Amino acid sequence: MIEVTEVRAGYGDGPDILNGISLTAEPGRIVTILGPNGCGKSTLLKCIAGFVRPRAGHIRMSGEAVTDVPTYLKVRNHRVGFVPQTDNVFASMTVAENIMLGGRLMERRDRERRFDTLLGQYPSLASKKNRRASALSGGERQLLSLARALISEPSILLLDEPSAGLSPRMMHDVFEAIADVRRREGPSILMVEQNAFEALHVSDSAYVLSFGSVAIEGAASDLLADPAMRSLYLGGDKH
Amino acid sequence: MFQFLVDVLMRACDLMLVAIGMSAVYSLMKFPNIALVQYAATGGILAIVLQKIGAPVAVAIVFAVVLTGLVAVILNEFLFNRMLKIGSSTAMIGSLAVSLVFSAAFLVTVGPNPSRFRLPVSKPIRILDARITEPQLVSFAIVAVALGVFALLYFRTDLGRCMRATSTNEVLADATGINTARMKTIIVLISGVMAALGGVAIALKGEVDIQIGMDLLLPVFASAILGGLGNPFGAVAGALLISLVETVVTTINFGPLMGQVVVFLPVAYASAISFLLLVAALLWRPRGLFVSEVKRV
Repeated sequence: MIEVTEVRAGYGDGPDILNGISLTAEPGRIVTILGPNGCGKSTLLKCIAGFVRPRAGHIRMSGEAVTDVPTYLKVRNHRVGFVPQTDNVFASMTVAENIMLGGRLMERRDRERRFDTLLGQYPSLASKKNRRASALSGGERQLLSLARALISEPSILLLDEPSAGLSPRMMHDVFEAIADVRRREGPSILMVEQNAFEALHVSDSAYVLSFGSVAIEGAASDLLADPAMRSLYLGGDKH
Repeated sequence: MFQFLVDVLMRACDLMLVAIGMSAVYSLMKFPNIALVQYAATGGILAIVLQKIGAPVAVAIVFAVVLTGLVAVILNEFLFNRMLKIGSSTAMIGSLAVSLVFSAAFLVTVGPNPSRFRLPVSKPIRILDARITEPQLVSFAIVAVALGVFALLYFRTDLGRCMRATSTNEVLADATGINTARMKTIIVLISGVMAALGGVAIALKGEVDIQIGMDLLLPVFASAILGGLGNPFGAVAGALLISLVETVVTTINFGPLMGQVVVFLPVAYASAISFLLLVAALLWRPRGLFVSEVKRV
C-alpha cells in the first residue's frame, strides 16, 4: 500500500512542482495519475520511487515511513517495482539478463522458476530471450521492463507512462498485461498516464493533477462517465 | 615473423590494462580519467621501491597494486566525484592536474633516474624465430590472467552484471535495486588495480622512469577511444590495433623509398602514430570501431 500525504517537491532551487499532494493506492488496486504535460505527474512518481526527495510531506509504503529512503533501498526492502517511461531496458544486455537482474537478490531456484513463469506469460520475450534488448520493438521493451520489475514479485508497482510511444495495438497489449498483473499478483499499482481513456478502463481509481495539485479524484468508472472529465481529458464524446 | 607478433603483443600488454581501466571508469563516471596513466606509473614505481626496501617481488607487486587501487578510490571520493558535480570536462581537466601532481611527487620521491626490479638474469627463450625473456613471459602472464579474471567477473558474475547495468543505464540500475554509488566505487578500485598491474607489467620488462605515465597517455587514450570509450573489451582490441600499427611503422625499412639501404623510424615516433590514429578515430569513428548496437528512439 502507498500513502502520500501533503507532498511538496521541486528540482534544485526552482519552485515547487508538487504543491501538497495526497493520495492512496491500496493492494490489488490500479490507481492512475492523469493530467496535462507539466502538471507534475512524473515528478510525483519520481518522489514516490525515491529519485526526487520531497521538500515536505510524508510517503509511507506498507505502513512504513519511506520519505527519504533512496530508490535502491525501496526496491530491495519495500518490494517496489519501477518501470520508467524511457530508457526502460539495459540495452546492451540480453532479454534474459535484463529479467534475471531484477531478481538477483532472490534464491536462485525461485528466480529461475519466476523467470520461466514470466516467459510463459510474455511469449514475445520468450522467443527473443537471448537477443540484446536493443533489438526489441518499443512494445517489447515495455513488456521486458515490466517483466524485470515483476520477477521479484513486488508489492508495489510504479509505472511511468507505460503506453508512451506505442502503437494502438501495442498499447492495448501493454494495458492488458498490467490488468493481468493485478489479477494474478495483486500489488498496489500506481500508473502515470497520458492516454486517459485507455488507462481508466483498466484502473480502479484515478487522480487528475493540475499545476501540481489534485484537481479531480474518484473511481475510474465515475471519471469515465463524468462530462467535465470527458470534455477536458478524454477527447470529448468520441469514445 | 613470430618476433613481430611477440613485439605487437608485448606493446599491447603495456597498454591493455590501463586502457581497460580508463574505459571502465568512463562507462560509469562519464569522464576519461587521465590520472589512470599515473596509477600505472605508481604501481610500477611503488613495486620497485618496495622490492628495494626488502620485500619479495610478489609481495611488493601485491602491495603496490592494492595500495594504488585504494589511492584511486580515495582520489575519486574526495576529488573526482566533487568535480563531476560541476561537469565532466571539469573532472577531466582535474584529472590532468592530478597527473601533473603525480609527476612532481615522483620527481621529489624517487628522482629523475630510471629504476628497475632486481631480477635474476636469465637467458632468453627461443620460440620459432623469436627471443623472449623470462620477465617478458611473466609480464604477459600477468596481463593475460588479469584480462581473464576481469572478463569472468564482468560477464559471468552478478557483480559484473550490476556493473554493466550501472554503466548502461544508471537510473534503471537504481530502480532495479542496485546500489550504483557502491558499483562506481568498485569499478574505480578495479580500474586502479588494473592500471597498477599494467604498470607492474611494464616495469618487469625493463626500466621505469617518472615519465612513464605521461608516455602512456596518448596510446592509452587512443586505444580506449578506438575501442569505444565505455567498452572495456573494445579497449583491448584498440590496444592491439595501436600496438600493431606502432610496431609495423617502427619495423618497416623506409630505406628503398629514400634511396638508402636502411632507414627506420625512431621508436619515439610511435606516439605520433597513436596521435594520428586518435585523430582519425575522432574524425571518422568517434564512438569507436566496435560500436554496432542498434539504436532505437
